[in-house]
Amino acid sequence: MASLSEEVLLVVKKVRQRKQDGTLYLMAERIAWGPEGKDRFTVSHLYADIRCQKISPDGKSKIQLQLVLHTGESTTFHFANESSALKDRDAAKELLQQLLPKFKKKANKELEEKNRMLQEDPVLFQLYKDLVVSQVISAEEFWANRLGGINNTDPGLCDNKQEVGISGAFLADIRPQTDGCNGLRYNLTADIIESIFRTYPAVKQKYSENVPHNLTEKEFWTRFFQSHYFHRDRINTGTQDIFSECAKQDDKGLKSMVSQGVKNPLVDLLSNPDVTVKDSSNSAIIKRFNHHSAMVLAAGSLDQASETSSTDGNSRDSDFFQPPVKKVRLQEAIEYEDLQRENGPKTVALNLKKADRYAHGPVPLQSQQYTTSQDIINSVNYIQHEMANYKPNLTQVLSSTSASSAIAALSPGGVLMQAGAQQAINQMVPPEVQGELKHLYAAAGELLRHFWACFPVNTPFLEEKVMKMKSNLERFQMTKLRPFQDKIQRQYLSTNLTGHLEEMLQTAYSKFHIWQTRRMMRKT
Amino acid sequence: MKLNIEGLLVYFPYDYIYPEQYSYMLELKRTLDAKGHGVLEMPSGTGKTISLLSLIVAYQRAFPLEVTKLIYCSRTVPEIEKVVEELRKLMEFYSKETGETNNFLALALSSRKNLCIHPEILHANIVVYSYHYLLDPKIADLVSKELAKKSVVVFDEAHNIDNVCIDSMSVNITRRTLDRCQNNVDTLQNTIQKIKETDAAKLREEYRRLVDGLKEASVARETDIYLSNPVLPDEILQEAVPGTIRTAEHFVGFLRRFLEYLKSRLRVQHVVQESTPQFLKDIFDKVCIDRKPLRFCAERLQSLLRTLEIADIADFSAVTLISNFATLVSTYSQGFTIIIEPFEDRTPTIANPVLHFSCMDPSIAIKPVFQRFQSVVITSGTLSPLDIYPRILDFRPVTMASFTMTLARTCLCPLIVGRGNDQVALSSKFETREDFAVIRNYGNLLLEMSAVVPDGIVAFFTSYVYMENIVASWYEQGILENIQRNKLIFIETQDAAETSMALEKYQEACENGRGAILLSVARGKVSEGIDFVHHFGRAVIMFGVPYVYTQSRILKARLEYLRDQFQIRENDFLTFDAMRHAAQCVGRAIRGKTDYGLMIFADKRYARADKRGKLPRWIQEHITDGSLNLTVDETVQLSKHFLRQMAQPFRQEDQLGLSLLTLEQLQSEEMLKKITQIAHQT
Repeated sequence: MASLSEEVLLVVKKVRQRKQDGTLYLMAERIAWGPEGKDRFTVSHLYADIRCQKISPDGKSKIQLQLVLHTGESTTFHFANESSALKDRDAAKELLQQLLPKFKKKANKELEEKNRMLQEDPVLFQLYKDLVVSQVISAEEFWANRLGGINNTDPGLCDNKQEVGISGAFLADIRPQTDGCNGLRYNLTADIIESIFRTYPAVKQKYSENVPHNLTEKEFWTRFFQSHYFHRDRINTGTQDIFSECAKQDDKGLKSMVSQGVKNPLVDLLSNPDVTVKDSSNSAIIKRFNHHSAMVLAAGSLDQASETSSTDGNSRDSDFFQPPVKKVRLQEAIEYEDLQRENGPKTVALNLKKADRYAHGPVPLQSQQYTTSQDIINSVNYIQHEMANYKPNLTQVLSSTSASSAIAALSPGGVLMQAGAQQAINQMVPPEVQGELKHLYAAAGELLRHFWACFPVNTPFLEEKVMKMKSNLERFQMTKLRPFQDKIQRQYLSTNLTGHLEEMLQTAYSKFHIWQTRRMMRKT
Repeated sequence: MKLNIEGLLVYFPYDYIYPEQYSYMLELKRTLDAKGHGVLEMPSGTGKTISLLSLIVAYQRAFPLEVTKLIYCSRTVPEIEKVVEELRKLMEFYSKETGETNNFLALALSSRKNLCIHPEILHANIVVYSYHYLLDPKIADLVSKELAKKSVVVFDEAHNIDNVCIDSMSVNITRRTLDRCQNNVDTLQNTIQKIKETDAAKLREEYRRLVDGLKEASVARETDIYLSNPVLPDEILQEAVPGTIRTAEHFVGFLRRFLEYLKSRLRVQHVVQESTPQFLKDIFDKVCIDRKPLRFCAERLQSLLRTLEIADIADFSAVTLISNFATLVSTYSQGFTIIIEPFEDRTPTIANPVLHFSCMDPSIAIKPVFQRFQSVVITSGTLSPLDIYPRILDFRPVTMASFTMTLARTCLCPLIVGRGNDQVALSSKFETREDFAVIRNYGNLLLEMSAVVPDGIVAFFTSYVYMENIVASWYEQGILENIQRNKLIFIETQDAAETSMALEKYQEACENGRGAILLSVARGKVSEGIDFVHHFGRAVIMFGVPYVYTQSRILKARLEYLRDQFQIRENDFLTFDAMRHAAQCVGRAIRGKTDYGLMIFADKRYARADKRGKLPRWIQEHITDGSLNLTVDETVQLSKHFLRQMAQPFRQEDQLGLSLLTLEQLQSEEMLKKITQIAHQT
């Protein structure tokens, strides 16, 4: 499984898993562990599959790291190198800490998407149950070309994902806890750190400047929480406070925000005369709140920013021309909606998510043509009259032999009436068997689709896959199709029901054999 | 629709009308008919402006000889712009209905940038501008002097008009003013010197023109062409310019002497308060300046500036200020006081002497307006109690009315919170202002409300300092952090640009659904100028009673004057003043009948009859006995209930016939009877 192209980020030796000594590898996309002396991995998890990592408390004798997967399973590694166990564990932990968030979003999004698809599509769900849960094919294979297809055909759905805003109180959520010996402990999560970065770009800049060259991540955040910057109301004590610059930058940011002015003329207080400015002791806190709220607001609407600026950026420079924004605002301000006659009902724009469903949806009832009883009586009378006056044209009729053969052909079981047998399945077979057959067809179709998609087999990967698919098909035949056939046999139903399925499988097998013999010939 | 207001055809540019609008127009027409003044209070959001404009324009068209001009004064630039927009709408309606092209000329003066100096202003049918253009003698002289007597003057949002009057007549002189004045005088001297060398005849001409100018003004005032200038008293017009300041050099020398005297007065170590006669006696004793030349100072300076052909008068603002002061101080023996403070009360160690020449009588500035124009209408959403305005502005109105807001559903919910959940009395009064328990309970109130009120909440504090202290205290207690879980917090600052930004962000946060709280100050810019319609303000919380800072000597002097001259007790005036500001604050949330909002008065003193009784009628009538002394929890419960009710759909049909009328409904006998009850005469 290990392909050589994978980049190995960290190797930790003497790591035990299930009481077996081995080596832990952290690679670009997965974490893997292999027992000592063997060159294959017995444990391998993609980062995207990992929900979280847990570590054993500091005081414990065993130094462990546990990975919890999205499926609920967990894997525990025990760092057994006596001299450097703690260091090893922390190194692995920190690297994981940086790696996991990168994959987390992707994983969550995918999981959500898969979940949604399964919920919305019962057939797919059944298929999933038939194939994946019963372990005919793996989940990865099942989703392999489905997700891609979804993303490609429906790009609007994914691209328009709403950016998640920031809680206004994220700083309040960092509750310091006393650690018992005159210290404070802050618990930071990746979300909080991201919130801080998005709200205070200056801090992010400091972070990228100093971590990890000058400070470790822990030191950085310790200083952050000690800083005057964080506690704006405290007196600035430390001169080497790296955040003192941030405060200045924030002030600058606030000033530039202020100097941009406001677009809504009705809230523009500058147009009023007499401005008195006095600074006071608490003004820093007040400024901070305004800045904080503005930044939180801005972070929540980054993608909209460009939009609004384009609509509002009209002719602010010309003094003679009243800007439309202003005009609109004024008109809004003087409007009394209830004094005006409503001009037509207010409409909401129709937003179709599935346009085709709308187009092919239920058709409105057509006005049907009813025949009155009088019409029927009239027509009966007419036919009676016609029949009474019927005179056969004997020179033009068929010979008796051809007539009887035509009748035979048109009778049930005749050449022309074979389609009628198909219809009979409805009546012949009980509904649960029908349902089962449907599932079988769907599952077989899915597998065959995978199988045929491998041709032409021109890469090693496809080769591997086609082999696997063939065994999948065989497994399907054994575990699913055979029991079904036995079952219908027990119920004395026509075994013909599965004939077509068998045929399809046989076609696939023969294709596979042809391919295999050719390959063997080429090899020899 | 076309209305018949006691025989007058009024074009009203809407399909429906509120009953109170009809009632308002009725009262307004009676005021115009009587050629008298009126005081009208109608809630904001009931279409006061359009009612005013519709009626007065109709009146002008019907009786072009009786009313020639409408002078519409408002306070802020956005308000002026709104009026212009409404007027435009009315004019469009006129031309649509009558088919005539519009021959009405309306003019708006908003700022110096758009200042119109064209003589058109004299011919315009409607002039819309700021109060200052009419009340501030310096500006009124330039802009409004020649407005016709047969004009109707409307002061909209006039609840603060007395303060505008007082401010326009008061002069504050600091060391900086004097230094700049010194520079001005030097410049004047140099310019005079230059002109003397090149064109001595010009100065002689100037002197002649000065005398003529005053004569002209005298003729004008007798024949009633001009609006009189309160700075230019009648006596000056009859007397000759005294010899001491007759020539330009003498005048400059005179100014220098006066300046030196003022400088010496600013060199005080303790607070001095004196009346204008005392000041005049002192100046005569010390530097032998007589009262008479002082009175001519302002006029003499204007003449000199004209002669010297100085283009940029703004550069000479300091010397203009000083000369205006000289004229005022020598003209009025009453209604003004002089207070010299060597330092600010808060910073007694920093010398910053200020001479306050403070007007205590708002009627001085507005007197010429009442005398000159045949109808002056004072109107606002909050003018209660109505009778106090005629008293402090010294005029006799022919109509005084307060209109309620007819409502199909009770869309405002005034609640008085008197206690915290721990039964601690909530109040911003001085003794408990620093009380930890009160501050905590206030914070708790805001926190609880932030959890139940959707979108925007506006909270007002009694003063900026008070707000700062409370915010700091809430910050320490972690209350603000908890509030941030529910809504973003924006705070008014003393910097106008910063506050504008905070306001815009606040609106953005209300708009995008996140919700926000704006902490603001009563008497501040936000409380006076910004509306919080619909989701921009679903609740207003007034923390405390916004009394004015009572320790100020200027205020004390004014209170004393009110007591002596108008028999208004100090406490009555202070309560009146506090309540009008509180009403302004909470009224910000309701901007129409489709709007709704909570009005939370967080101070137990609001429950007292003397406070409650001074709220506008349209708020008062919704305060029930059950909402007088609530705890925070009770408030939250009532608020939830109210908000849930208000969130139900509210359609036009629900209002029709009750608070919204069609023309037919309006004409029914029964409705007309009902409408007469809307106006509450006092």
